[in-house]
Amino acid sequence: MSVPALEILGVSKDFGRIIALRDVSFSVMPGEFVSILGRNGAGKTTLLNIVSGVSRPSEGKVNLFGTDPGDRENKAKLAVISHEMFLYGNLTAIENLEYYSRVYNVPDAKKRIDTVLSDVELTHRRFDLVATYSRGMTQRLTIARALLHEPSLLLLDEPFTGLDQHAIGMLIELLKKQKDMDRTILLTTHDLHTAAELSDRYVVLSKHKIIKDGYIADTTPDAIREKYFSAESQGAEA
Amino acid sequence: MMRTAISILQKDLRMEFRSKESILAMWIFSLLIFVIFNFTFEVSRLVMLEIAPGLLWVAFVFSGMFGLNQSFALEKENGNLRAMALMPVDGGEIYVGKFFSVTLIMLMFEALIFPIFIIFYDLQLSLGMFRLIPVLLAGTIGFTSLGTILSAVAVHTRNQQILLSLLLWPLVSPIIIWSVTLTGMILSGEVTEAFYPLLLRVGAFDVIFFTLSYMLFDFILED
Repeated sequence: MSVPALEILGVSKDFGRIIALRDVSFSVMPGEFVSILGRNGAGKTTLLNIVSGVSRPSEGKVNLFGTDPGDRENKAKLAVISHEMFLYGNLTAIENLEYYSRVYNVPDAKKRIDTVLSDVELTHRRFDLVATYSRGMTQRLTIARALLHEPSLLLLDEPFTGLDQHAIGMLIELLKKQKDMDRTILLTTHDLHTAAELSDRYVVLSKHKIIKDGYIADTTPDAIREKYFSAESQGAEA
Repeated sequence: MMRTAISILQKDLRMEFRSKESILAMWIFSLLIFVIFNFTFEVSRLVMLEIAPGLLWVAFVFSGMFGLNQSFALEKENGNLRAMALMPVDGGEIYVGKFFSVTLIMLMFEALIFPIFIIFYDLQLSLGMFRLIPVLLAGTIGFTSLGTILSAVAVHTRNQQILLSLLLWPLVSPIIIWSVTLTGMILSGEVTEAFYPLLLRVGAFDVIFFTLSYMLFDFILED
């Protein structure tokens, strides 16, 4: 049996008196696509920060490919896409991607940059400053930046927020392509239909702990919606 | 090993040369200081030589504070500071990149403002003035080595500029005071035997601040 790409073992996180996560445990196998569902403030972003090694858990442990998420080797295998762009407005698309390709030591960087820019349909704007891009274009460049070093694990924190329909469609297609390439993907989203369309598995976070963990194949999008909302309302009542 | 540091340095310098935001603002701010002091006080040349070194370093340090704040404000924008924490490199390497970019920008600004200072205060250029180069280098490196790590701390807070001042001033004061003393010796042409030991002391502080900051920067990047 293969080693899980990600193991979250009894993770709790608090910021002083504010509790963000309580005893969260689950694992993700290599090539698996897992969606984390939950209301704002449920702890989804905190969980992704811990998984990415940016934040440390107050209790519990996270293993990424069998080792600590803060390891340099693990960080090189990881990419994060969130509402934060990780781009410099005063640089062009090419300059941003060249910068990240040097940091991530991307082999044959020029060719790889051309490929990712073409994937997100931004080749024609590659020499323009990112500050002149629309929100959708910036998000597409963010995706290109994240895929530049061909990460094994993709962490997506509400990546559809603020995107137009065209950009959402493009991101869904890109994610399907990543899934076909057996990349491990962890997605947080409010969009249950998209989660059901893309994921193998879903996890529901409510009041900072897991209240559901199930396989998409065992259910239907409507049933997930029903389970999700019932779980949420139970969580809210608790 | 220093691939990331060089990339950060190139990126910062490219952005600065494109916008000229930091250098221009620092230059104008210093010019204002010189103009105000020059026209406010009608003092003799002797007194002017007494206050000029302090004035020069006031301009450098206040403008430098602006440069430090600006450097990490750029990283905070669009979450780039978090992107740095996610990079597969040691925090120390990121620190080195930011340190060199802040230091080079500050040295460029110093090179641009120093001739204005000479003109405003009617100072005589002499070969002895070349001694200012190691003094400016050592003083600036001490200021930026500590300032780089402390502005990375302060950028996470709401009152970034106030916090940076509160953290930086008490620690960097000895370096600034010694740099003012050394600059005074050179401008007055009275370089005593205390000059080199004092310069060495500034250099020793530079090494200590740089080494500690390099080792601690990983913790700063964590949430």
